[in-house]
Amino acid sequence: MALRLSHDDRAAYSLLAALAVVLMAVTAFPILYSFWISLFSINLRRPRSQPFVGLENYTHVLGDPVFWDSVGRTAVFSVIAVVSVLVIATLVAILLDQDFPGRRVLAVCLLIPWAIPSVANGLMWKWIYDANYGALNGLLLQLGFIHSGMIWLGDGSKTIPLIANAFIWKEVPLAAILLLVTLKAIPADLYAAGRVDGATAWYRFVHITFPALRPGFLLVALYEAMMAVRHFDLFFLLTEGGPGGASDVVAWRIYVETFRNLSFGTGAAMSYILAIATLLMSYVLIRSMARKL
Amino acid sequence: MIIAKPRLPGLLRGIGLALASAFMLAYVLAPIFWLVSSSLQQEAELTSIPPHWIPDHPSLANFRAIFLTGLGYAQPSANGVDPTSGGFIPSVAGNLLPAMGNSLIVAGAVVLLNLLVGVPAAYAIAKIRFRGRSAALYIILATRVVPDIALVVPFFLVVRKLGMLDSLMSLIITYLAITVPFSVFVLASFFEQMPDDLDRAARVDGCSRLQVLLQVFLPLALPALVAVGLFAFLASWNEFLLALMFTQTAASQTLPIIVAGITSDFTVSFSFLNAAGVLAVLPPVLLAVIFERYIVSGLTAGAVKG
Repeated sequence: MALRLSHDDRAAYSLLAALAVVLMAVTAFPILYSFWISLFSINLRRPRSQPFVGLENYTHVLGDPVFWDSVGRTAVFSVIAVVSVLVIATLVAILLDQDFPGRRVLAVCLLIPWAIPSVANGLMWKWIYDANYGALNGLLLQLGFIHSGMIWLGDGSKTIPLIANAFIWKEVPLAAILLLVTLKAIPADLYAAGRVDGATAWYRFVHITFPALRPGFLLVALYEAMMAVRHFDLFFLLTEGGPGGASDVVAWRIYVETFRNLSFGTGAAMSYILAIATLLMSYVLIRSMARKL
Repeated sequence: MIIAKPRLPGLLRGIGLALASAFMLAYVLAPIFWLVSSSLQQEAELTSIPPHWIPDHPSLANFRAIFLTGLGYAQPSANGVDPTSGGFIPSVAGNLLPAMGNSLIVAGAVVLLNLLVGVPAAYAIAKIRFRGRSAALYIILATRVVPDIALVVPFFLVVRKLGMLDSLMSLIITYLAITVPFSVFVLASFFEQMPDDLDRAARVDGCSRLQVLLQVFLPLALPALVAVGLFAFLASWNEFLLALMFTQTAASQTLPIIVAGITSDFTVSFSFLNAAGVLAVLPPVLLAVIFERYIVSGLTAGAVKG
């Protein structure tokens, strides 16, 4: 039986045609092609020999302690980033939820870190962290917290938190805006009722604001985790995975494997592992977005 | 209903808000302030300890060098002293303006294509109950979360095979694919809020779907169109990873690529480095500040439902 399309169906499909072509050609096809590539041993250094190896790239990657070390660093980076973004963004959102003169100025300034290119963000923080002339050393010296300049990015134990700090600074605005939406949705009579009952500000925060924010927290946390796990730009700009591999995260590993070792097969396998991990994470996110429309 | 949110007593609340606001402003603006201040300082002043937070003798020498070499009125110095103290112009200075031009072309094209592709699709999703609608919706949302780094390997191989490496076209097409799912989502949430009666009434009057979209919905959707255009512009202007893979020469290198090159170039002075940073930051920040309302309402529309 032929599929019968209504007039509406046909109208919708023709309106969606251009989008379908773009997403098929530039997203779906590359994703499938990437899987295909990951089944071969492709190294651009020896273009003539590209044998089919099945899932060997995957077993190789998953059995490689270097890869798991980078997963560990990615996890540390992501946890620091997500937790800090949530805490700072909540404070900012609560502040912007108040009604006071100057609120608009704050709201406008808040967008600045969100808007700037990650490359400029990387440049800015690299200069701030500079061991010789950086503003961080300068400020801490002036305030008397330290007596001689510290090595920041060059100290492997500080690298990940410092890069996370640059990431957090740029991510807070979006998270705060999203949390503010959730805050604004709290019915005011809830607070009025709380006040009638004589609840203190702290009590109201813990028992009204905080629970109401929970769904917002979940989604912002998921979104930020997705962003953190895949983050590449700052690692490239600030440390190139160094010092001594201290900031060698998964995204950086994929870049090195693919474009420095020119091993496209294992690079594709790693990207696929990362993509599946984020897709699993984003399942909740996607479902709640679909519910909206 | 107008019931005030919880309030602390007057004076205490005022002090608290002022402190919190000052803290937040410092957190958000201090790094940017230092970037700008550094770009205006002479190299000798910039490398003094303790740092001069506000330049003693602010100078636009770096920016003059960028514009003069970029427009062909000056040549980079072969070697010599620093730009801010004696007219030395690093060899990369002349690349910044052309790269800015490339960034503008790419971002402009991506904005146009986003609207052309995204508006009809968003209207269909929001206003037509067609077979496969929820599948389409899920596919669009799923493509929004594919990490760009996962697309890099296949993108690179395809672009190379098509001979499109080092061309603006490769950037325009891939940026379109990355940005358009979000555009569709924001536009669809906006169309969704418009009354169905509007749609029905226009079609009873004999308008086709396309006519309804163009003549009824588009004029009303202007704020959403502005927001979507801004998101696409900023995403394209700021994108780094794909540009790093695809571009090789000044023919296609965008501003982030040139700026990243300067960041790791030890022959460039700190002062000039910061000037390049300011150049990259200025256009997006101006857009964000001017169109703040549109951006926030767009982000809110594109936000997830709690």
